[in-house]
Amino acid sequence: MTAVIIEDEKNICSFIETVLADGAYKTFTAATGTDGLSLIASRCPDIILLDLGLPDMDGMDIIKKVRQFTHTPVIVISARTQEAEKVAALDCGADDYLTKPFGTSELLARIRTALRHSQRSGAASSVYSCGGLVIDFEKRRIALDGQEIHLTQIEYKLVSLLARQAGKVLTYDYLMQQIWGPYNDSNNQILRVNMAHIRRKLEKNPAEPEYIFTEIGVGYRMREE
Amino acid sequence: MMIPFKTKRPFLSRQALLRNFMITVIGLMIATLLSAVFFLLSHNTANIAIIYVLAVVIIAQNTEGYGCGIVASLFSVAFINFVFTYPYMELNFILDGYPVTFLGMTIISSLSSTLTTHLKEEIQLSNEREHMLMEAEKEKMRANLLRAISHDLRTPLTSIIGTSVSYLEQADRLDESQKTHLVKAIAEDAQWLLNMVENLLSVTRINDQTASVNTALEPLEEVVSSALQRFYKRMPGAKVQVSIPEELIMLPMDATLIEQVLINLLENAVYHSGSQSPTSLSVDTDGGFAHFHVRDHGSGISPDRLDTLFDGYTSMQNHSSDSHKGMGIGLSICKTIINAHHGQISARNHPDGAEFIFSLPLGENTYGS
Repeated sequence: MTAVIIEDEKNICSFIETVLADGAYKTFTAATGTDGLSLIASRCPDIILLDLGLPDMDGMDIIKKVRQFTHTPVIVISARTQEAEKVAALDCGADDYLTKPFGTSELLARIRTALRHSQRSGAASSVYSCGGLVIDFEKRRIALDGQEIHLTQIEYKLVSLLARQAGKVLTYDYLMQQIWGPYNDSNNQILRVNMAHIRRKLEKNPAEPEYIFTEIGVGYRMREE
Repeated sequence: MMIPFKTKRPFLSRQALLRNFMITVIGLMIATLLSAVFFLLSHNTANIAIIYVLAVVIIAQNTEGYGCGIVASLFSVAFINFVFTYPYMELNFILDGYPVTFLGMTIISSLSSTLTTHLKEEIQLSNEREHMLMEAEKEKMRANLLRAISHDLRTPLTSIIGTSVSYLEQADRLDESQKTHLVKAIAEDAQWLLNMVENLLSVTRINDQTASVNTALEPLEEVVSSALQRFYKRMPGAKVQVSIPEELIMLPMDATLIEQVLINLLENAVYHSGSQSPTSLSVDTDGGFAHFHVRDHGSGISPDRLDTLFDGYTSMQNHSSDSHKGMGIGLSICKTIINAHHGQISARNHPDGAEFIFSLPLGENTYGS
């Protein structure tokens, strides 16, 4: 496995390098967007880690350029205050994001998830199973702890969308577009209300969800085994 | 004494000149009209003079500078003589006793017009002075806050630098457990620093001028669960008992900020209660507000600190017993955030520990499920 790290902060770069080397990844690093892009083109990495605050280029532009020639998963690294940029990066084609500061285990888990999604994008599995929750996509059935759960059409669409990309954060905009089509208004209240209904059917305590997590200001993420 | 004002005042703009002119003309016209009615009814010139004096004072009050008032008063004196005194429609300043009347009127109206102008300038000046005082006060508060922050930042930084340097210098003399101990201390202090910085950053989301925030309707449960997730990530060992209302409640808020408040209060409870029993977080709604309660089961808050708990940096000087680096700023930021949401925050002791309560106004639409 090879990874390209585009990060201008030397210490963070070497920290990520150390972690990835321990995880048996081969790493290449670049401190600028231009260098990064040429590294990606020449090395064909399996995963790209991209810091949003680069000195020479806007992170969005890099993602757009990368997406012109490859589907290699991109994980965006951003600071807590850059919410809007985070969402924009995801909507631009980034696969996931990490908020600084992040820990070793979190970094590795996100990379594993992104890699898994990129590898099985062709043949999706027909069943999602995690904890007590089982979703059979072919039969359109959901069971929690052996008990069948009844969801409305839209609720089922939402849950299956999240489950098929479990572990990955799906933005409000993406979900709205997938369920209500491109011509919905920008208000995502209807999504929030539907999610609340789903939560009441799937979670024991909506304040401490086990399966569907909220990423404030960004979207939702479904638990992955 | 008046000269500096005159030189300081810029020339009147065209618009202001026109406005002054209009006020003067209209004021004199009304006075003339009233006088005409009066004159037809009673033929009393003394009352007419008083009406004009009144008009001049009003004009002086409503225009900028001395000019209009003086022009109006001179005009009035001439006009009364011309129209309302015998011989009518003729200027005659040598009538018996009239020179005194007219001289007096000229002086009175000129004086009152300069007086009102002067008064206006005084008022403006004192307003400016008050504004400057307020600015100075703000500046002082800012300096205090900065001092408190840099103190709070320096403490963990000193420890991080000291610990890491001693690790580097004595690496060969330390055994494994000592090394782990040192690195753990560094990690802890760095975590604390991060917490502090995030708190400070969150304040930048509040609008400086209006002290308000951009709110959107957010489901209460999502904010609570997200705050808990982040809290557990930071303090893996901690336990929180959560209970929120069954129905879906949407609150207008800046979710990132309310999340920060919840994390601060939970962390505060864990650090300061000195107890291992779980903290409880509960939410209820009542009277158009959602009330968030964070309760710990520990030693409580000493009564003399209850009043200044949310003032943060002002109580910095005398905090001693509570050694965990001033959580004060965290609490004062909570208060800033809640105030910006038009809510309230308070703290009290219950028989078994401390309780922090904050309330947020419910929006207009709360979806029932």
